[in-house]
Amino acid sequence: MLASSAGGDPAHLSIRSSAWHPSLGVPRPAMTAHSFALPVIIFTTFWGLIGIAGPWFVPKGPNRGVIITMLVATAVCCYLFWLITILAQLNPLFGPQLKNETIWYVRFLWE
Amino acid sequence: MTFLISYWGEQIGQKIRKITDCFHCHIFPYAEHEEGRLGALQQVQQQSHELQEVLGETERFLSQVLARVQQLLPPWQVQIRKMKAVYLALNQCSVSATHKCLIAEGWCAARDLPTLRQALQDGSSEAGVSAVVHRIPCRDMPPTLIRTNCFTASFQGIVDAYGVGRYQEVNPAPYTIITFPFLFAVMFGDVGHGLLMFLFALAMVLTENRPAVKSAQNEIWQTFFIGRYLLLLMGLFSVYTGFIYNECFSRATAIFSSGWSVAAMATQSDWSDAFLAQHPLLALDPNVSGVFLGPYPFGIDPIWSLAVNHLSFLNSFKMKMSVILGVTHMTFGVVLGVFNHVHFGQWHRLLLETLPELVFLLGLFGYLVFLIVYKWLQDYAARAASAPSILIHFINMFLFSRSPTNQPLFHGQEAVQSALVILALVTVPVLLLGTPLFLHWRHRSRSQRGPAGRQPDEDKSGILDSSDASVAGWGPDEEKAGCPEDGEEAEFVLSEVLMHQAIHTIEFCLGCISNTASYLRLWALSLAHAQLSEVLWAMVMRSGLGLGRKLGVAAVALVPIFAAFAVLTVAILLVMEGLSAFLHALRLHWVEFQNKFYSGTGYKLSPFTFASEED
Repeated sequence: MLASSAGGDPAHLSIRSSAWHPSLGVPRPAMTAHSFALPVIIFTTFWGLIGIAGPWFVPKGPNRGVIITMLVATAVCCYLFWLITILAQLNPLFGPQLKNETIWYVRFLWE
Repeated sequence: MTFLISYWGEQIGQKIRKITDCFHCHIFPYAEHEEGRLGALQQVQQQSHELQEVLGETERFLSQVLARVQQLLPPWQVQIRKMKAVYLALNQCSVSATHKCLIAEGWCAARDLPTLRQALQDGSSEAGVSAVVHRIPCRDMPPTLIRTNCFTASFQGIVDAYGVGRYQEVNPAPYTIITFPFLFAVMFGDVGHGLLMFLFALAMVLTENRPAVKSAQNEIWQTFFIGRYLLLLMGLFSVYTGFIYNECFSRATAIFSSGWSVAAMATQSDWSDAFLAQHPLLALDPNVSGVFLGPYPFGIDPIWSLAVNHLSFLNSFKMKMSVILGVTHMTFGVVLGVFNHVHFGQWHRLLLETLPELVFLLGLFGYLVFLIVYKWLQDYAARAASAPSILIHFINMFLFSRSPTNQPLFHGQEAVQSALVILALVTVPVLLLGTPLFLHWRHRSRSQRGPAGRQPDEDKSGILDSSDASVAGWGPDEEKAGCPEDGEEAEFVLSEVLMHQAIHTIEFCLGCISNTASYLRLWALSLAHAQLSEVLWAMVMRSGLGLGRKLGVAAVALVPIFAAFAVLTVAILLVMEGLSAFLHALRLHWVEFQNKFYSGTGYKLSPFTFASEED
């Protein structure tokens, strides 16, 4: 859980930040890049299994039709929602605007 | 009251007697001697004593009888009510004088006819008379019977609250089982709140067979209890959308590492400590290499919850999401209408109504969805300031104009857009005039063939010529054999059909635009929920968590602060926002989804049952 700090002493923080990173000027190793293809394959397979393969395994009974409808509808809705979210973040036009306190903190925390 | 009367003379004595007779008094002669008087008094006292005993005995006997009756009274009352109900039902039968029997006409599901015959046989075998059942043809619209179990009953209930479907019309309830909780969850998305709702519903579901829970009299509890499966699914989907929105009690979680690297931006842009101290707000630029590392694999990137401009990104995302979900939902509604047309054999409506409707909807708003997805797939970060605006393109599409500063999204976009708008405009007269003209032509060709000799297979389609263009057909149960209202079939008023179709066309075309905009409430309510949740956290919990370094002070103060946070979360965010999102999801289903295919003008089969008598 993250919460940006309510208030901080910039001088106090700046002393701590320079104590944290030992070498100035050398770029730190980048975080691992997120691929786009891997999540697409994983989630398409997952929801495809539920929505397309799942109906074949529903036991025969009076509720078979309703259960199949529920499986397909769930798969379509959840997959579509996830797909919209990842597509919206694929090519961002602008980046997040952060407070300087947040930058000080996150710069070294998320590496 | 006792009087002692002494008098002189016979006549006064007689008058006194008359007066005492009038008042029904008891008269005792005053004996001369003391013993006589005492004896008379004793006698009177004994009499009164005996009378009192008799009274006492009678009262005790009465209370015994009443106590016995009190035990027997409730089943007697139930029996009497049942008998009354049976007689009320029997009163509705008609008496046939010639055959000396009661004739009852009613509706029965075709699947239940063998059971009915068996029950009649069992019932009448003891009495010795036989009760028989015949199927007779009828022109009225049959009632609708949809069999539900305890899970599907609540979803069928919310569909029926808008209107019971016409006989054999497609039932939106099976799809509503999932789409309703899903649209609710889009407006409610928060892992923490969804989890609370899910657990509450789970508790109700697991204890649903306990008599204390089932027969609670509190009305508000009964409302929640009847919708326990609804709440269960709503909570479950809210947990999912909460993970996608990356909100748990308004806090984001970094399950995967964020796709934005602050360190890369800081080193590449040379953000020294002095520079940062001078600039309170700085933005990450996706153009700088190494800053944007790829889309977050599941949901919204957690960096946005730290960003000051997170609403700019989220608003754009949620608005586009609402439009995509809305167009998908409405297209699904139009496609469900296909089932109706196929089932009732109205093939002409497939070509003359569903096809133009789909072309109009998908040509205009499906194209908007295409533009949204196409722009998402293009990388405009290098020229973000001059990136094309979908909104301006869409407006220009309808006005057949162009804005020189707005770049096209793809080659040939103007030609495609013009073609789509012209195609959509062409579908409007087809929608308006197609079905009425076809029905008119068919009616004329049929009446030209001559009114004599109506074949049985024509009767089914004959119904379709009636003035109501969206009439329901008949199931295979009813046979057509000379019914009194034959004259209505031949009546086909072109002006009424045209008016009905005009209303339908205007409703559909204008509705496409307004309904698509109506789906933006998905964005509005999810924004409201997120902001309320954020404010509650910032105002309540964060002030408690940031109380100071002394552990003791913070720990003690956090208890009432958390209590306030919990109460406000349940009252405002769960109950108020939950009801609000429930209402809006319901409206989206009732109006925007169902007016594409559902008429809801039927009536329910209400069989005679003792169950309603015993409440």
